[in-house]
Amino acid sequence: MKILGISGHYHDSAAALVIDGIPVAAIQEERLSRHKNDAGFPLASIEWCLDHAGLSPDDLDAVIFYEKPTLKFDRVLTGLLQGYPHSWRSYPKAMKNMLGEKLWVRGLIASQLGISTRRVRCIEHHQSHAAAAFLTAPTQEAAILTVDGVGEWATLTVGTGTKRADGSSEIRMLRELRFPHSLGLFYSAVTSYLGFAVNEGEYKVMGLASYGQPTRIDDMRRLLRPAADGAFMLDLAFFDFLGKVESGFSDRFVDVFGPPRKSWQPIDLKTDEGRRFADIAASAQALLEEVMVGIATNLRRETGMRDLCLGGGVALNGVANARILREAGFDRLFVPSAPGDAGCALGAALYADRILFGQPHKPVPDHPFWGPVPDETALLRIAREDGIPAVAADRLIEDVADALAADKIVGWIDGALEFGPRALGHRSILAAPHDTVMRDRLNRDIKYREEFRPFAPIVATEHADRFFELPRGGARLARFMSGVVPVRPEWRSRLAAITHVDGTARVQVLDREMEPRLHALLEAYGKRAGVPVLLNTSFNLAGEPIVNTVSEAYSTFRRCGIDLLVAGNVCVTKPRLARAQILENVA
Amino acid sequence: MGASGLQDDPRREAARPSRGAAYFGDFFGMILWPVHRLIWADPQRRARKLLEFAEVEASGGRDLVRAAELTDDPVLRARYLVHARDEARHADMFRARGRALRKETASEGKEGLADWMAPGERGMEGLDLAREKDADLLAFLYLSESAAARDFARYARVIDKDPATRILFQRILHDEDEHKNYARGELGRIAPHRARRLLWWARLRRLWKAYLRFATAFAGVMAGVVLTLQYFLLLPPFAWLAKRNARREKPGWVTLGEGSER
Repeated sequence: MKILGISGHYHDSAAALVIDGIPVAAIQEERLSRHKNDAGFPLASIEWCLDHAGLSPDDLDAVIFYEKPTLKFDRVLTGLLQGYPHSWRSYPKAMKNMLGEKLWVRGLIASQLGISTRRVRCIEHHQSHAAAAFLTAPTQEAAILTVDGVGEWATLTVGTGTKRADGSSEIRMLRELRFPHSLGLFYSAVTSYLGFAVNEGEYKVMGLASYGQPTRIDDMRRLLRPAADGAFMLDLAFFDFLGKVESGFSDRFVDVFGPPRKSWQPIDLKTDEGRRFADIAASAQALLEEVMVGIATNLRRETGMRDLCLGGGVALNGVANARILREAGFDRLFVPSAPGDAGCALGAALYADRILFGQPHKPVPDHPFWGPVPDETALLRIAREDGIPAVAADRLIEDVADALAADKIVGWIDGALEFGPRALGHRSILAAPHDTVMRDRLNRDIKYREEFRPFAPIVATEHADRFFELPRGGARLARFMSGVVPVRPEWRSRLAAITHVDGTARVQVLDREMEPRLHALLEAYGKRAGVPVLLNTSFNLAGEPIVNTVSEAYSTFRRCGIDLLVAGNVCVTKPRLARAQILENVA
Repeated sequence: MGASGLQDDPRREAARPSRGAAYFGDFFGMILWPVHRLIWADPQRRARKLLEFAEVEASGGRDLVRAAELTDDPVLRARYLVHARDEARHADMFRARGRALRKETASEGKEGLADWMAPGERGMEGLDLAREKDADLLAFLYLSESAAARDFARYARVIDKDPATRILFQRILHDEDEHKNYARGELGRIAPHRARRLLWWARLRRLWKAYLRFATAFAGVMAGVVLTLQYFLLLPPFAWLAKRNARREKPGWVTLGEGSER
């Protein structure tokens, strides 16, 4: 069967194509439209997926949308009615939003693709998350936990998944928590309070939390309280999900925690105000972890299963993930490369294949590389046109390792684009991880971002335990950079650029089979520097999506402090002129 | 970026705005003068507008980077990248000044007039860059930069009590003039016989987009009014029912049935 999965209309749209049970293409719309977190209908992604497989829309057996718009409309309308009359400002906006396009998504998809609406189906949002987490994981049975802001009604679900010997698969959702009681919305409200953009800045809260102490956790517990049945509930007096849709927190929240940070206000951790924000972040993070670990522990006891598959946007919280793995009693924790809404496109397609159409389960290749492959000859052409030295190198790995050892910053674009928010070795900026000078250089010349945000390391599986304190199952969790673990104390000074202030790192543990060239580069670098670890950050500038094509990598290379650009076997070196000077000369 | 050296180019001369166009430019400037003065007199609104301009410039810069990535012409690639760098610099300047004003007024400043009442530069206006030809894009850029230069000159004229912001506009105005010149020069280079036609076509497209913007904003306001009336006139009984049901709901887990379908 040929099944197209689509997610979109909220944030981070994507499309994924599954043929005969195996994914063949998946991509986020932002990587093609070049608008970060593009929430529009993912037409470019759909076109790319179909082109990649040589299909036309008529060839598709089914198109699956990742959530049920009527259920979502039900939730939105009910919420607005319950908030009457305070929801009067939100009502017109919400109705225009829903009635304008979102409610008619089946018709929209059918008209955009020129197919019958009978071939378009919708499944529930958290079913998509659960399928993305479980059906892509190399496990036969697992407990499933999905946590995000909100889907239709559900904000958190628990269940189980089974792949049987006869080829059939089952995803059984046991319980759910419903809007407005949401861990994701709780964290987003804190994100907004701390002056970061909702659905974008949550990972900044996690980074900031390491600088603070959870001194306000008791206050946080007033916001998010345990329910009698072991779940939790939000005290809605502290939140305003209807009146202040953009912020989510109420005046009472401000009464308890003080004035919110304004988005333009820098966080100076040397000041009382800066430390107050860090403590609030630490408190929210600690409570989130506590609740997640509690739910996961109960799920382990209830199901007796040894593996846990975690999905939803909250699964991007690597600190919480690592704590679940350490404390909840599971042997392995599987988080897909795209646990958020983009990954629902793949989840929806796989759910339809295995569950709706009852096709036999097939193992999904255990890697995140489902996007376009770069054309390295284009780099040769562009660089030569611009008079910048470019070579097709014979001993490229050795040359790049030499450059990294000489403190050069390398833009690395190789193979199919990753599906998900992390650069996992195919669209990465690589650098030596040893000192804070490199970290500051990357922040200053490339990322232009806050100093409290850490960089991530990448290490080969066989060396990971030497440098990082991986819990049991930690290498699996770190396969897609989904866990934050301590750097071994004896290595912290030699890995200063990737060691966060609390001694941790969001490490990627790389299997040779998953990416042999990058593995070879790590080995070659290790021979030179004595430490086979590299700093690995996403290949993009602030406010831009991760690069996709060679020309995007090249323009990024031209605009920032990257010294060397590598695409496949082609290497471009930036001349020893100031960047501005190069641009002036060419102009 | 220095002067482009194309000022005496006869092709550029041919496309210079006619006296009529210049008159209308001033005419509209005259009519809009009180509106601009109103907008820019209030420091909080001024801060908001500057921060919006920062976003527009940053977005325009990203669009130019995209244009550089898509073009096959190495000269244009370099031009677009330089232009993108300027836009990013402008965004930084607008942002810094907007933030400074916000600090002075201690405001988060979400208030203000509807955006379509305050004309300003609008970047690439949502052009689909992948489908645009270089010549069309350059024509669009030329007009866009010309409009920006004209608007920024007007703003600089009405801001008499805030010299820092006025100087900022004057500095950026200088760059916009240079961008306008290079766009016109490159348009003459790659489409020497079609430049005037392309410029008129681009003017019509801008006009159409302005109409669409206005129509969308107007439709939005109308829909808002109708829905607000509906909210207060039709919804109260349903709201009462929804609240009654909400009171009966217990917080906590909702157990799902077999197959998990609702």
